Amino acid sequence: MLESIYESDKLHLVVMKINKNKISLPSSEITSESAYINRRKLIQSVGLFSLGLGLTESSLGQSQEAQLLKTIRNEKFSTTEAPNSYSDITSYNNFYEFGMKKSDPYMNSGMFEPKPWSVEVSGQVNLTGTFDLEDLIDFNKLEERIYRLRCVEAWSMVVPWVGIPLSSIIKKFEPLSTAKYVSFETVYRPEEMPGQKRRILRWPYKEGLTIQEAMHPLTLMAVGIYGKELLNQNGAPMRLVVPWKYGFKSIKSINKIHFQERQPKTSWNISAPQEYGFYANVNPLVDHPRWSQARERRIGTGLFGAKQPTLPFNGYAEEVADLYSGLDLRKYY
Amino acid sequence: MNALQAPLIIVLMLVPYILLTLRSLGYLSGLGPNPVETIIHETGLWGIRFLMLTLLVTPIAYYSGIGVIAKLGKPVGLMAFFYVLNHFLSYAMIDQAGDIGVVIIDIIETPYLIVGWGGFLCLFGVASVSFKRLENWFSQNRSTISGLVYTATILGVWHFYWQAKVMDIESVIYSIILTLLIIWRFQVTTNRKL
Repeated sequence: MLESIYESDKLHLVVMKINKNKISLPSSEITSESAYINRRKLIQSVGLFSLGLGLTESSLGQSQEAQLLKTIRNEKFSTTEAPNSYSDITSYNNFYEFGMKKSDPYMNSGMFEPKPWSVEVSGQVNLTGTFDLEDLIDFNKLEERIYRLRCVEAWSMVVPWVGIPLSSIIKKFEPLSTAKYVSFETVYRPEEMPGQKRRILRWPYKEGLTIQEAMHPLTLMAVGIYGKELLNQNGAPMRLVVPWKYGFKSIKSINKIHFQERQPKTSWNISAPQEYGFYANVNPLVDHPRWSQARERRIGTGLFGAKQPTLPFNGYAEEVADLYSGLDLRKYY
Repeated sequence: MNALQAPLIIVLMLVPYILLTLRSLGYLSGLGPNPVETIIHETGLWGIRFLMLTLLVTPIAYYSGIGVIAKLGKPVGLMAFFYVLNHFLSYAMIDQAGDIGVVIIDIIETPYLIVGWGGFLCLFGVASVSFKRLENWFSQNRSTISGLVYTATILGVWHFYWQAKVMDIESVIYSIILTLLIIWRFQVTTNRKL
């Protein structure tokens, strides 16, 4: 339903009107204006959905305010595949901080407060300290990038992210030559993130990349989806997006960044090292010990949609395979 | 009253199935962004729950003193099989698009599917016999049937536990109840022999 709203010309006009009133941009700067969804329509449809679940809208994360963002689409790095609907992207999530079911982040993230936000930067860099979100993200340089997202559970989506290359953030800190890895942490707030009250994973959630991976032009620090600020269930206010790796590498709601010489410990790797490696590159030839990774189910294809083959590096082999030349991908999964 | 109990139980046990059918027709909240997964998970979950209930029938009859309850084991067990059958069929026919070759390879390559498949075969054996020869065979082979249902439930709970990325509290609860049931079962049979 949302997709039809998203594409309707009538709505497009309404949205343009909103854009002009609220942020008054020259239309030439908005190449992805069609990505803006009428928020009122969205809330209406979400209201219907929550009615079906027997819930009140106020109990849902969807009552959050999401501001529109000014973006320019990066066509070079965007897939031409059709993005998933906003409702799929915001209601089907793995974010164990809010619970283990796919609908839990959507249902239980309403209490989370992503504003104001600051990030602690430490380790092998010249510039350390605590930075506000606005210090890290240049909101005048936001790009829209439509990436494939492949979950380790063998489902996938296409998401129109809004963000800036992680490399542009990292350069500000001036990493030292000893900074071989970058590690990230999700905020730890059990009173706002009910899933953290149970030790299903070792909190806070930790992830990491090699410095080469972190500096790769595809690696994005995202602050939005569909031209709007990230909702809590998607990792507000800022999250990593590493499209050639399984989704769990793309850590959400980051409040710590650390540069170090040794490979960092990461949450899923600590939890089950034989199942989740540090690299976690999408690889149809290396199965998860308990299930096959050869194929994936694209969310949104409905009840009878066929599974599709999973591509090496999630289809980004041309861009990133060089990073791993000489590395045995079966051993370093 | 006795004659009414089995149909009543069957109707009650069909409620989750009816709700799921309504959801797949777009009513209630629908099946969500991943409808295949929802159908497979829901049918599997209710299969496990009703298998647990099947095993609980005998001890409940035993401790409540209401012997008639024991007769509900068969309808409850058959309803559990109904869900497990739907679980398997939705996996094979929808998730794997009915490609038997792919199904076989997938099962062989996926350890938790081997376990689940084993449980399904146990139940399939019991159910096919209970449909054919009915009461006679049933009363003569009670321990075999009970053993198969226990085995199926153990494999089912194992399958449920094993497919999750991290430990699911529900599978832990079932494992504990199942352990207690097995201990109880052994005590009862040992006492009888003595």
